[in-house]
Amino acid sequence: MSKDLAKLSITEATRMLKAKEISAVELTRACAAEIDAKNAEIHAYLEVFDDIDAQAKHTDEARARGEEGSLLGVPLALKDNILVEGRRASAASKILEGYVATYDATVTRKLKNAGAIFLGRTNMDEFAHGSSTENSAFGSTKNPYDLARVPGGSSGGSAAAVAAHMALGALGTDTGGSIREPASFCGLVGLKPTYGAVSRFGLVAMGSSLDQAGPLTHTIEDAELLFNVIRGKDPLDSTTIDQGSTLAKGTKKIGVPRHLLKNGVETDVLKNFDAALEQLKSNGYEIVDIELPSAGLALAIYYVVMPAEVSANLARFDGVRYGLSLVGTSQWEDYAKTRRSGFGAEARRRIMLGTYVLSSGYYDAYYGKAIAARARLTSEVTSVLQKVDAIAVPSAPSPAPKLGENVADPLAMYLLDIFTVTANLTGNPAITVPMGMVTKESVTLPVGIQFTAAHNDEAKLFEIGKVIQQKYTVQ
Amino acid sequence: MISKEEIQHLSELARLKLSDDEVLGLQKDISNILGYVGQVSATSATDEAPTPGATRNVMRTDTPRGDDDPLFNKRESLLKALPKREGDYAVVRKIIQKDE
Repeated sequence: MSKDLAKLSITEATRMLKAKEISAVELTRACAAEIDAKNAEIHAYLEVFDDIDAQAKHTDEARARGEEGSLLGVPLALKDNILVEGRRASAASKILEGYVATYDATVTRKLKNAGAIFLGRTNMDEFAHGSSTENSAFGSTKNPYDLARVPGGSSGGSAAAVAAHMALGALGTDTGGSIREPASFCGLVGLKPTYGAVSRFGLVAMGSSLDQAGPLTHTIEDAELLFNVIRGKDPLDSTTIDQGSTLAKGTKKIGVPRHLLKNGVETDVLKNFDAALEQLKSNGYEIVDIELPSAGLALAIYYVVMPAEVSANLARFDGVRYGLSLVGTSQWEDYAKTRRSGFGAEARRRIMLGTYVLSSGYYDAYYGKAIAARARLTSEVTSVLQKVDAIAVPSAPSPAPKLGENVADPLAMYLLDIFTVTANLTGNPAITVPMGMVTKESVTLPVGIQFTAAHNDEAKLFEIGKVIQQKYTVQ
Repeated sequence: MISKEEIQHLSELARLKLSDDEVLGLQKDISNILGYVGQVSATSATDEAPTPGATRNVMRTDTPRGDDDPLFNKRESLLKALPKREGDYAVVRKIIQKDE
């Protein structure tokens, strides 16, 4: 019985909680039982909060008093880079050792106001630098579908927690694909909202022009529910926007940039992708070929712009105000020893790369060119989305790789994001939806299809996603 | 191939004290990555001035926070986080010398 409760969708759970068919305590206990059974092996959670029963009881009591909330009593997991006041946050890094958040992220506050229960903080690549969660300073997370494989990253802990029913849903963050790629590897729905739709206040910043928090869930309806709770203009993040009401009725056309899928995508992934497109066709959609001439450059643009922003955002970690603080023989050395010890190899790599592309003599050739190319990519995508409702591609070129497969070659790891980075560069909303399973080396693994819509048109993503969802359900 | 000296210069700017092995490793990694991302340099796109109104500064109203504002009164928790604390002060290395 309790195992079944942990498998409820958020939508179904809220219905049952409201009808008093189940209590939040029962629901939380069900998730806790899954955590007890599985987390030691999967390592999705860095910390399970010790007051989850009290949180659950509190929501049951609130409900008994007649209080309401769209997520009242729903147990969720939060990625370790989302601040919850009074709780540890480390972005899976040693440099934030001992740091206790002094304020709530806006997304945290909104979830709290909706009555959600926070089960714990989930593992991630350190500072969100990675696509496999192997860069965590606190050990890798395993993919629940095959413990020898990665769950993806950087929101790998959130993806694994939800996929293994250790939470009904989770928040992650996405800078280059960090919600969508792990969601696709773990058979989940993952949404990266329009840039500015969700406040970044209280998220540990990685790339400030790229970051967005978003949901990882089992169903489209759940993703929509969580998105509606966390979205909104926020005076504490001046890059947030008022998205306005639903956009105009669509053309029912889906654009596929076939030229980008010619090389590098595994055969079985393409097979599932084409089958998913057939599902859309049988539901009244027209599939059209589109061209995105600058998209081939997207990953290169991303790996110039993102490290540049990372090098600026990670400059604040120096051991002066919080976290790891080592002593050297000079002021520079205090900082340099702290940062060298506190940051892992990938974080150091990206800081160095970012410092290089922003440095005098190289700025124009790399960063200057990258931001110009980014602007051109954005206008290309915008004009394509005036003619089609969404752009469709596989969410990743392959299913989940094996643990250790890509650690020796950073560039090989970066290539996993090849289909996801564009939406971060352009600010468009993008969603991954499960598109069935593939068999690889005798294991069945989930794969996802990604749709990108016009700015502020998450509604189209949900609409299209529901059509795909009809064909595939992943348990 | 980016030079060892360039890596060392970058590590000074980035405030990272690297070992010789780490310098060598980064030399290799950064060179490989630059080899890939260098494609952007070849692009014909130019960094033209953005169209007026395309981006703008957004400021919030300059009103003081009330005592009951959840972001106010964090002083003690901020002080508690300090690695080196003395009363209500953060202890840092001496920077300004006596005769400056």
